Amino acid sequence: MNAAARGPWRAVALPLGTIVAMAVLWEAVARGANISAHIFPPLSVVLQEAWKVGPFLARSVLRTFTETTLGFVTGASFGILCGVAFALVRPLERALFPLFVVSQTIPVVAFGALIIIWFGNTILSKVVIAFYLTFFPVTVNTHSGMLAVDPQKIQLMRAFGASAAQIFWKLRFPAALPTIAVALRLGISLSLIGAIVGEWFGDTVGLGVMLIQAMYTESVPRLWALIITCGLLGASLYAVVAVIERRVVWWRSDA
Amino acid sequence: MSSSDPAPRGSHAIPLLKLVNVWKRFGDGPSQVTAVANVDLQIEPGEFITLIGPSGCGKSTLFNMIGGLLPADANGSIVMNGVPQQDGELLGKVSFMPQRDLLFPWRNVVDNAILALEIEGVPKKEAREKALGMLPDFGLSGFEKHYPHQLSGGMRQRVALMRTFLFERDLILLDEPFGALDALTRAMMQRWLLDIWQRYKRTVLFITHDLDEAIFLGDKVLVMSARPGTIKCQETIELPRPREASVVTSQAFIAVKRRLLDAVEEESMKTFAAAEPPR
Repeated sequence: MNAAARGPWRAVALPLGTIVAMAVLWEAVARGANISAHIFPPLSVVLQEAWKVGPFLARSVLRTFTETTLGFVTGASFGILCGVAFALVRPLERALFPLFVVSQTIPVVAFGALIIIWFGNTILSKVVIAFYLTFFPVTVNTHSGMLAVDPQKIQLMRAFGASAAQIFWKLRFPAALPTIAVALRLGISLSLIGAIVGEWFGDTVGLGVMLIQAMYTESVPRLWALIITCGLLGASLYAVVAVIERRVVWWRSDA
Repeated sequence: MSSSDPAPRGSHAIPLLKLVNVWKRFGDGPSQVTAVANVDLQIEPGEFITLIGPSGCGKSTLFNMIGGLLPADANGSIVMNGVPQQDGELLGKVSFMPQRDLLFPWRNVVDNAILALEIEGVPKKEAREKALGMLPDFGLSGFEKHYPHQLSGGMRQRVALMRTFLFERDLILLDEPFGALDALTRAMMQRWLLDIWQRYKRTVLFITHDLDEAIFLGDKVLVMSARPGTIKCQETIELPRPREASVVTSQAFIAVKRRLLDAVEEESMKTFAAAEPPR
């Protein structure tokens, strides 16, 4: 708050300055230290490469973004539903939760091929992988957030004659929101990874596809351009989730 | 008894709440713990009863039973307005305030205060208007949009009290509401509570472990024994109302305090001794 009051530009200017300084350093080191462009291309070369493949890159970003968002939204919704169900119905938790844990110990690449066969070489298979990586942390945090509700607050509501539904909507769910929000921030990053990995198994457009192509052709400038793009996409998605979180779950989870 | 109360208190009047031989035991067999034993008490409409006892004497267990949160053992009965109350029937019939304020951090002052009204199904707009009208009485004018983390301990406690008063039930249960406050704030809150009580004409059962507080507030002081908790003795407080802060130095106050102090001290010592390892 104080930093913002002193001048909102400061909050932007400082990190922006760091980025510019790093860009200059990158360019200077790559050109000055006489490193082969094949190993470490200067930033200007990377940017030129990005410009050259601009339209394809833009379409790929859009595609990966769509897969990530769809996987995140479905995974987060499913995770919240499961977490709530586990918290409310103990037998369900005991029956299914171990299965959830086991499912997460298998690396997603192990059955990536299976997913492609099942869901086809379409956007759906990438969404499924993104979904698969997202739902688990959201389930775990929703569950623990729901269980961490102050029992005295539940007693208070009961003393006021509240129904189970009222206790859920007015207390349990809002009380779990800060914990759920933490998982959502983790989930959006995982979802992006899921989408990119899903694309490795085969497609024609997407950041994952471009990464594989750049790797096979050993186009290091292209790889760097893609790394930067992935970073920008990941950071933007994270920022959106964080901003929404700050709007909706602004209170401290003091319970 | 306060003579200012207009309600007739003939011998035929039905007490608001009557506890007859109420017990609460936890566990079975040799590990069984008796928290509350053989409690008989009677509360008349409009009375301010204070209940004092050493910590761990089962005060809160008794409270939870009166609030309907905990079923009493089958031996005895809890009778409200002449009707015996079965398990869970008391839920929603008593306005209940535990020790901690238990405010919801995502609700502002007004929305915290109307929680019970919302549960009852009162439309939000109507409930908020009612709460806004009560803010000055509770010393919260201008704070309606504040959130709990922006308030002092005393203010948070007043929001919780307002929530309790807005839940309009005949009986208000207050469990050490001022226990966490500093001495000065507490003295101020006690005078304020008496003022509010007289203005809103409710019946109050107030738990405390502070003897001065019990005498200053109550029409009647009940002393609870060390575990298992039972009503050891009671004392009617004849101090005139409204009570000024200076009443605590009056002869009458000190005389009552002297009589009660022995009883309270004895029970505290028992609790203390029980905490020592046996033999």
